[in-house]
Amino acid sequence: MKQVPRDNSVKLNADLSINADGIEKIINLFDEYAVEEGIAWYEKHGGKLTILSLGSTEWTEQIRRALAMGATDSLLLSDPAFAGVDTLGAARVVAAAIRKLGDVDLILTGRNSTDDESGAFAPALARNLGWPQITYVGKVQDVNPATKTIVADRSLEAVIETVSSPLPAVISVIKDINSPRYPSLLKIKRVAKIDPPVWGAADLGISAADLAPAAVLSTRAPAPSRPKGEMITGGDAAAKVSALVDKLLENQVI
Amino acid sequence: MSGVLVYVEQVGGDVAAITRELLGKGRSLADALGGPLAALVIGDAAGNLAERAIAFGADTVYVVSNPALAGYTTDGYVAAAKAVVDQAKPALILAGASFQMRDFGAALATDLDAGLAADAIDVSVEGGQISAVRPSHGGNMINTYAFAAGRTAVVLARKQSFAEASEQAGRSGKVEAVALPAAAIRTQVTSVVPKSGAVNLTDAAIIVSGGRGLGNKDNYYKLIPTLAEALGAAYGASRAVVDEGWVPYEHQVGQTGKTVSPKLYVACGISGAIQHLAGMRTSRSIVAINKDPDAPIFRVATYGVVGDVNEVLPLLTEQLKARLSR
Ligand SMILES: Cc1cc2nc3c(=O)[nH]c(=O)nc-3n(C[C@H](O)[C@H](O)[C@H](O)COP(=O)(O)OP(=O)(O)OC[C@H]3O[C@@H](n4cnc5c(N)ncnc54)[C@H](O)[C@@H]3O)c2cc1C
Ligand SMILES: Nc1ncnc2c1ncn2[C@@H]1O[C@H](COP(=O)(O)O)[C@@H](O)[C@H]1O
Repeated sequence: MKQVPRDNSVKLNADLSINADGIEKIINLFDEYAVEEGIAWYEKHGGKLTILSLGSTEWTEQIRRALAMGATDSLLLSDPAFAGVDTLGAARVVAAAIRKLGDVDLILTGRNSTDDESGAFAPALARNLGWPQITYVGKVQDVNPATKTIVADRSLEAVIETVSSPLPAVISVIKDINSPRYPSLLKIKRVAKIDPPVWGAADLGISAADLAPAAVLSTRAPAPSRPKGEMITGGDAAAKVSALVDKLLENQVI
Repeated sequence: MSGVLVYVEQVGGDVAAITRELLGKGRSLADALGGPLAALVIGDAAGNLAERAIAFGADTVYVVSNPALAGYTTDGYVAAAKAVVDQAKPALILAGASFQMRDFGAALATDLDAGLAADAIDVSVEGGQISAVRPSHGGNMINTYAFAAGRTAVVLARKQSFAEASEQAGRSGKVEAVALPAAAIRTQVTSVVPKSGAVNLTDAAIIVSGGRGLGNKDNYYKLIPTLAEALGAAYGASRAVVDEGWVPYEHQVGQTGKTVSPKLYVACGISGAIQHLAGMRTSRSIVAINKDPDAPIFRVATYGVVGDVNEVLPLLTEQLKARLSR
């Protein structure tokens, strides 16, 4: 689960980092669907479902929410060395954590984060681990612990691809895969005191140098506003529509 | 490392529009880098794609053709691309930013320990420095990334970011066959089914979208597809109406739906929430029709009409039909 600002009305710090002060850090929207899917298969097959997040330790409430939904374990990866890490670096850190956890059969992520939006994390994680990947999953048809396989439908722009893969594997899920459940008050109470264990760079044998990005942020600026538009006024609806079509034709928009 | 390698996507037996864009842009980038413009064709039957890539500007086309590459798999396509990269040693690899290419590009960048800019809207070379521009935070932030020297740059470009290369009939170039290394392809694609009523919104030059202002599902289908048809457009929707179940998720434009950048985007009864704007604010022209003169959509509109969709849309459809003679 990635920690992302509730909305994207963020500002810039002098060092080009993102200033999201005062904006609540929520669970990345797509990750709620990953959590729900993970819980559903955990309920079917048993085992363990761990919530893992790389980010601030001040996020316990959101981890607890996923535990209240039905996850069994949690783990936070947090260290000053991880601050400002890019997606490929984040995948390296998480891969090290997965290796240390061992005994993981399936990793579920969201399609993309709503802040960085690269969608690169799941493929990068899979390649770091040497595992196969199934991205943009709109339906998991089966997870079979006996044969150690997963069958899932990828929802691409124009086609649905059904893919089977051996486990362990990494999948990324899209929004209409399921409907995430709301945790009950009882369950929220039950997990209210749980604090996720925290692993840092030293626990994972990673240094800041291992995370130096190959693509370095050089400038960052708020998006320029669009050129000022024009309101079509005057006359009744028919007159306005005529004026609009005139403009679209004149300016070769259509 | 030198020059540029463009991943060739195919549509209906010819190079895709995004590939023509990348070959056009790639030409000037390769020239700035002082290296060749190469192209990469992966599949089971390359056909005349290599010739087509040459006609649109490629100097050399590397073809990895193998029955195991009939359909896309990350393992197969990344192995094929790595074999070509080993030989061509490009400084910059360009591909489109479709879902499939994002799966491919991120995996390839990881294996090559390369830099990655997913969903870029620009890429440039200045004094040998390769940079890419990529929006984030729902399009609110525009970020420029400078790629570290000596590491390959992988840039996945959003469609309609660059002008398409023009075709040069009779242009000649080199075609090199590269063998697929004995790679273990672990996943198996058991079926590929076109989506019913599939709309490739990201390919559409014109999109007409409807929001909650349409009132109900019947009204959406009465007004939006007919206007779309008059414009030769695809139709989209706000999340509000997707969540209401009027229209499938396929059609959703915005931060959690599709990011589109058509020539013309017509927003009907859509308020213009920040998450909707994230998906369409880079459209070349935007027409907004909304009954509320203060609706935020008007702040990004090229042309705004304050009015009731029930009155405006039928008139607009009628006029367009008459004047575009469709
Ligand atoms: C994490 C997150 C992700 C989101 N992702 C997306 C996304 O991907 N895409 C998206 O669209 N939204 C997204 N949203 C939702 C977004 O915030 C808005 O709620 C949504 O876009 C509103 O849709 P709407 O404009 O159709 O409806 P409303 O906001 O209800 O607006 C309806 C508009 O229609 C106008 N209207 C009403 N009647 C008429 C009439 N008869 N004629 C003309 N105009 C009329 C009204 O003036 C109003 O402006 C997301 C929200 C969150 C929190
Ligand atoms: N720091 C992180 N911690 C946990 N999960 C992450 C993190 N970054 C990315 N992810 C996962 O990867 C998905 C895709 O993110 P991204 O590649 O940034 O678009 C998200 O939906 C998350 O599930």
